[in-house]
Amino acid sequence: MKLGNYQVKLEKKLRVGGWEAAGISILAILIALLLVSVIFLEAKVNPLDGFTSIFTYAFADQFGVPLTINRSIFILLCTCAFIVPIKAGLWNIGMAGQLYGGALAAFGVAYAFGASPSGSQNLTLAPGLIIPLMMIGAALGGALVGAIPGFLKGRFNTNEIVVTMMLNSVAFWLVAFMIKDGGPFMGAGGEGEGFILPPSLDAPQILGGPYTILLALLLAGFLYFMFARTKLGYQIKTYGQSPSAAKYAGISPYNIPVLVFVIGGLLAGLAGYHLFAANPGVYKITQNYGDFGDLSFYGVICGLISLENPLAAIPIALLFGGLTSGARFVQGELQMGFGVDYAMLGILMITLVAFQFFYRNKIVWKKLEKEK
Amino acid sequence: MPMIEIKRGDTVLEARGITKRYPGVVANDHIDFEIRAGEIHAILGENGAGKTTLMRILFGLTQPDEGEILIFGEKVNFRSPLDAIHLGIGMVHQNRKLIPAHSVLENIILGHPSAGRIMNLKRTGDEITELCNKYGFKIDLKAKVWQLSEGEKQVVEILKALYRGAKILILDEPTSALAPPEVEKLLASIKIMTGSDLALVPFITHKLPIVLSVSDRVTVLRHGKVTARLETKSATENSLAKEMVGREVIFRLERVDVERGEPTLQVEGLSALDDKGVLALKSVSFSVHEGEIFGIAGVSGNGQQTLAEVLAGLRTLTEGKVTLGGLDISHSSSLERWQKGIGYIPSERVDVGSIGDYSLTDNVMMNYYFDDEFIKWGILDSNKIRKLTEGLISEYDIAVPGPETTAKSLSGGNLQKLILARVLSRKPRLIIANLPTQGLDVGATEFVQNKLLEAKKLGAGILLISEDLDEVLSLSDRVAPIYEGEFMGVVSTKQARREDIGAMMAGLKNKVAPV
Repeated sequence: MKLGNYQVKLEKKLRVGGWEAAGISILAILIALLLVSVIFLEAKVNPLDGFTSIFTYAFADQFGVPLTINRSIFILLCTCAFIVPIKAGLWNIGMAGQLYGGALAAFGVAYAFGASPSGSQNLTLAPGLIIPLMMIGAALGGALVGAIPGFLKGRFNTNEIVVTMMLNSVAFWLVAFMIKDGGPFMGAGGEGEGFILPPSLDAPQILGGPYTILLALLLAGFLYFMFARTKLGYQIKTYGQSPSAAKYAGISPYNIPVLVFVIGGLLAGLAGYHLFAANPGVYKITQNYGDFGDLSFYGVICGLISLENPLAAIPIALLFGGLTSGARFVQGELQMGFGVDYAMLGILMITLVAFQFFYRNKIVWKKLEKEK
Repeated sequence: MPMIEIKRGDTVLEARGITKRYPGVVANDHIDFEIRAGEIHAILGENGAGKTTLMRILFGLTQPDEGEILIFGEKVNFRSPLDAIHLGIGMVHQNRKLIPAHSVLENIILGHPSAGRIMNLKRTGDEITELCNKYGFKIDLKAKVWQLSEGEKQVVEILKALYRGAKILILDEPTSALAPPEVEKLLASIKIMTGSDLALVPFITHKLPIVLSVSDRVTVLRHGKVTARLETKSATENSLAKEMVGREVIFRLERVDVERGEPTLQVEGLSALDDKGVLALKSVSFSVHEGEIFGIAGVSGNGQQTLAEVLAGLRTLTEGKVTLGGLDISHSSSLERWQKGIGYIPSERVDVGSIGDYSLTDNVMMNYYFDDEFIKWGILDSNKIRKLTEGLISEYDIAVPGPETTAKSLSGGNLQKLILARVLSRKPRLIIANLPTQGLDVGATEFVQNKLLEAKKLGAGILLISEDLDEVLSLSDRVAPIYEGEFMGVVSTKQARREDIGAMMAGLKNKVAPV
């Protein structure tokens, strides 16, 4: 293409470095914010005021910060749940279903040991044991939901995207059955919510936040290490690069899909546990649990933006966690129209994904020689 | 098409200063040549010499950065292959671009302007039959393409180009996939075609004798530049190879005689299906001994691939028994086979044998990640693998900056060296080499063959699968020509005559007493 005296060409990039990717992402965020300004201007709000409010609430407000952290932990776990299968070239779009599975299993454990909708306090096991069992239960519950698409992929080569998506619906209605009118996990008030955990089963806190923050950070670090250094990580990556080459090298084309979806489901199950059973002030499967299923899809976006790197996913999850809470706050605070927060996040996501183009291509300018 | 009377010897195509640059490499560097009507003008070069780029430019698939192409003396500018076709250039691809489920006739008229909306199959059929008679092709126009042999498919491609009025025919590696008898037929047709003032431009990597036997002139490329323009009369096999490679090449490999040891691999009554579920391997029995190269010669698609995959554990057998050193491995996984000492060199270097986005270290890891020496607590010892890789790079003379280079930046020859190095470094007792030199240039071929002979000297049993009869004959101790999934016999290469094995590859059974 010619632009004035310049020849403009697209060239393929062989590989993108970590810092370069970070730079591209930051540029994308700045451009997204510029685009979002249009929304603010349309609503007759000074964009600068708008952004200041969003970021102040998200990262420097006594009510906003805990919300941001809770959301970020959730998104980080969902991102990890997406990253493990995508390293094997498989798409986990079923974090929602897996986190519902995890939540149901966690509350199932509590239920089994005496916690009940009637608010009975007669626990049959020490709370100090029930709490870790709930966490393990959630992990297994998520893993079980994840194992289904993994098994179907490994054994019958079904499309994992379709299966995970459909299981989201199955799990969604299963939760509805369990917590709504007459369901075994129905709350005492019967407002379409699950029962509230007895206070003795409230998850321990660290510095005023849920302990799951440590869990999420440790898991992200562990996954990074797993993919960088271990035999298992190598097998998964190799399968993801080329299933036929992996088969040649003796890596089982059955086991890897099962394994990555079990791990992915496990991580999403923990996200469900965090959200409903370890999040201060919640401790129940809420009426709007479906919204959190939707929120889990940020895991896909964060996973792609971080270039499948669990450590790089941490700041990105924090950003999205902050923006989801900040944008909703600003919408009320500045009396803007309904859905502004979604519009904002939508713009951000589209811009970030569009800028991935520059991970693979670069634009080259060359001054044209004057025609003789 | 311009209606210009073409006389024998007229220049029909002229390339002047063709230059094409890709990031980091000049694929074509000021290439000049001219092609005359009625001549066979071979373009010779190793892989990476710029042949493919040049071919793509001549057929309008790529535009050159500099230089011009003149056809019948007029400067042309191809925007797409359609422009090239209109000006009388035809292309016969090495990877056939035909529709298998359609008949020969339907394939030939596909996309032909005169076919129009309503096809007059009778008339076009007659016209094509006329073409066949003129050039001496024998082909059933009603046959479906999937039923044809590689040689017949090539004839369809040639007819397709001729029917569209091609005056200049570009042939990409025309003989590489053909059985020896088919090569003879093709060469005969080529002679007739040049007799009627067509210009033929075969692009050739190896098979130098064929170049010498049919072509009139040769242009040799090396590193994107023309290194020689010769009348074939004045060239010899060695002089051409020297221009191509840039150094002297030894053609005759000395078969190393090693005391034949115990049988390493024993195969009894092995049958297996291919991807389509067709029985591709029909009750094959043989054994490979220590210090022996057992060759399997055959035209592509006769079950060799299936055999290699079954032995490597990538495909399940339907019947039969496979033992390695006396141990039954009929149903062992590929991982178990690696651990028990089978080393598989696959024919699909890019898709199966390596991972393009991985560094060389990670590629070497493919055959070591399961090795206890390289793992501690599930963690891979990346230093050890890197040292091993560095050692292999220098030992096998792989031209790369270092072990962190990605595999996709390697040339075909260097990639094959890497795979070979990785597999041989495990010191396997049985090496399955599936088309180990296919598509490699003269230098790399020589290297790979010598490494296989070295492994043989060290006592490994080698199963060599090759479509190149000369290679099989010069390397192996015994050879089994394979045809439609069956061995046509097992013969000692010391006694066998080349023609007999060629005939067996084409389906004639047991022309030679078995050994």
